Amino acid sequence: MGCSSSLPDRSSGRLVGPNLENGGAPDSKNLRVKLVLLGDSGVGKSCIVLRFVRGQFDPTSKVTVGASFLSQTIALQDSTTVKFEIWDTAGQERYAALAPLYYRGAAVAVVVYDITSPESFSKAQYWVKELQKHGSPDIVMALVGNKADLHEKREVSVQEGIDYAEKNGMFFIETSAKTADNINQLFEEIAKRLPRSTAQ
Amino acid sequence: MEANFYDFLDRMRNPASLDLVRSIKSFIVSISFYAANPENDAKKLQDFFSTMEAAIVEHPLWEAATAQEIDSAMEGLEKYVMTKLFSRTFSSSPEDTKMDLQVSEKIQLLQAFLKPEHVDIPPFLCNEASWLLAEKELLKINAFKSPREKLLCIVNCCKVINNLLLNVSMSENRVLAGADDFLPLLIFVTIKASSSLCHFADHSICANPPQLHSNLRFIQLYRRQAKLVSEAAYYFTNLVSTKSFILDLNAKSLSMDEIVFEENMKAARQKNKLTPKEPLSASEAMKISQDHEYQVPSEKMQDKETSGSNYPYMEAEAGDLTVRDVEILLSTYKDVVAKYTNLSRAVRRHPFSKTEIPVPRVEGTSDTLSQLVGTGAPSLPGG
Repeated sequence: MGCSSSLPDRSSGRLVGPNLENGGAPDSKNLRVKLVLLGDSGVGKSCIVLRFVRGQFDPTSKVTVGASFLSQTIALQDSTTVKFEIWDTAGQERYAALAPLYYRGAAVAVVVYDITSPESFSKAQYWVKELQKHGSPDIVMALVGNKADLHEKREVSVQEGIDYAEKNGMFFIETSAKTADNINQLFEEIAKRLPRSTAQ
Repeated sequence: MEANFYDFLDRMRNPASLDLVRSIKSFIVSISFYAANPENDAKKLQDFFSTMEAAIVEHPLWEAATAQEIDSAMEGLEKYVMTKLFSRTFSSSPEDTKMDLQVSEKIQLLQAFLKPEHVDIPPFLCNEASWLLAEKELLKINAFKSPREKLLCIVNCCKVINNLLLNVSMSENRVLAGADDFLPLLIFVTIKASSSLCHFADHSICANPPQLHSNLRFIQLYRRQAKLVSEAAYYFTNLVSTKSFILDLNAKSLSMDEIVFEENMKAARQKNKLTPKEPLSASEAMKISQDHEYQVPSEKMQDKETSGSNYPYMEAEAGDLTVRDVEILLSTYKDVVAKYTNLSRAVRRHPFSKTEIPVPRVEGTSDTLSQLVGTGAPSLPGG
C-alpha cells in the first residue's frame, strides 16, 4: 500500500507532557493546529502522517503516535513552533457523511489521493468541494498526490494536480510515504501558510 | 485521579477559601431558579467555570501554584458541581430520552445479525479479548457522573482499540490503515458493548438504552471547553460519528446485500416483538449497566430469576463487596432515598390519601457530594 515497511518504534507511546496538556496555552509563538486528513481509503493518508511524526528526530519534540490520532511539533526558522494535531478520517464511502464532524474547526485540511488511481483523484475533488462549502472559510487546504514513487503506474499527471490546486487556491505537492519524499516539506509548507491569528 | 478531588475538597474546607465556597454554593442555588434547559445551563456552567478559574488563579490559596495544580482544582470543581447538578443536566430533556431510545433500538436490531465483515473489519483485527476490554471501558461510562470521567471512559475504550491496531501492525508487520480501521472497530465495539449488556441480564434489560446519546451530549455541553480538545476531542468525535452512523444506517451502509439486510432487519424486529420489554427508567438502566460492569457478585446473579428481583446485591454477603461496589451501592441507595422522598411527598400532597408515609430522616439528601465520597462526609463548609 505504498507505506514504509519500517516497524513502528516501540518506544513511541504517548509522550505528551503535562505542560502541553494543561495550561500550555498556545500563543502566537507556539501554535496548536488541528489538521484533518481526507481521502479515499488506501491512498496512504496514515502512512504520510506516520512518516512525518516518526521522521522528526528532535529528541525534545513531543509526539503522540496513535493509530488514527497523531501529534507532532515542528520548529520553524522564525523560532515559532507549530504543534500539529492530526485527525485521520475513515476513507470508505460509507463514512463520507461523517466527515463534517471531523473537519469542523480544523485550521488545515490535507486532501490526499493516489497518483495511480484516477478514482481517488475524483474523490479528492469531492472533498475539496465539500470543504469549500462546509469548512471554515480560512481553512488552509493542501492537495497531496501520494505514491509518487510508483511512476510506472501513474495515471494522474502532475499537471492535473497543479491545475486543480491552483484553481482552488490550494497548495499542491506530490509525496511518497514510502521513500519519505516531500513529507517534511508538506508540513513545513503548511506551517508557513497558517494565518497566525486564526490558528487556535 | 481521585486524589485530586480530595485535594480540592481539602482546600475548600480551608477557611481561606470561604469566598470560593460561597460562589460555588450560590451558583448552584441560582441555577435552580431557572427551568432546566441544556443550552442555557451549559452556557451558564461554562461561564461559571471560566470565572472560577480566574478566581482560583488569583486566590491566595493557590499562590505560586503550577498550571497543573490550577487545572486539578478545576477538575475537582467540575466534578463537584456536575455531581450536584447531575439529575438536572443529564438526559433531562424528552428529546434526549427519545434519541437514546432510538439509538438503543437500532443497536438492538443490528446486534441480531451484524458481523465484523459487514463493516469491512479484516480478520486479523478480529480479536475478541481486545474487543471485550474496549466494550468494558465504554460501559463504565454510566458509572460516573462527572463529564471528565465519562470522557475518560471513551478515551480508554478508544485506546484499547488503538493498541490493538498498533500491536497488529507491529507483530504482523501490517500497514497501519489509521482511521480506515479504527472507526469500523469502534462502531462494532459500540454495538457489541450494548449486546453484552443483553447477555448479562434477562431480556427486559435489552430495552435499556446505555444512553449513548445522552452521555455524548452531557460531555459536549458540560466538559470544560478547554479540556475537550486534542486527542480526547478526537476520540469523542469518533463516538459521535459512531452514534450518527448507527442512527442513519440503512441497506446501503453495510457490505451486505440490500435484500438480505432488509430481511435481517425484519427478522430482528420480529424477534424483538416476541420478547416484549418493559422500558425501565434511565436511572434504573444506569444502575443495571453499572452492576453489569462490575459484575458483582456474578455467581449470585444467576439466582436473580428465582429471587424475583433485578437487584444484583440481593444475595450478596458483605465480604463479597469491593470498594467499587460500595460506591455503586451508595449511589443506588441515594436513588432509592430520593425516590422514596419524592414518592412520600407526592402521597402526602394527594388529597385523597389519608395515610402518612414517614419520610426517612436523611440529612441533606440533596448533598450528593458527601454521599458520593462517603468517607468522613467531606461536604463543603459554610452551607
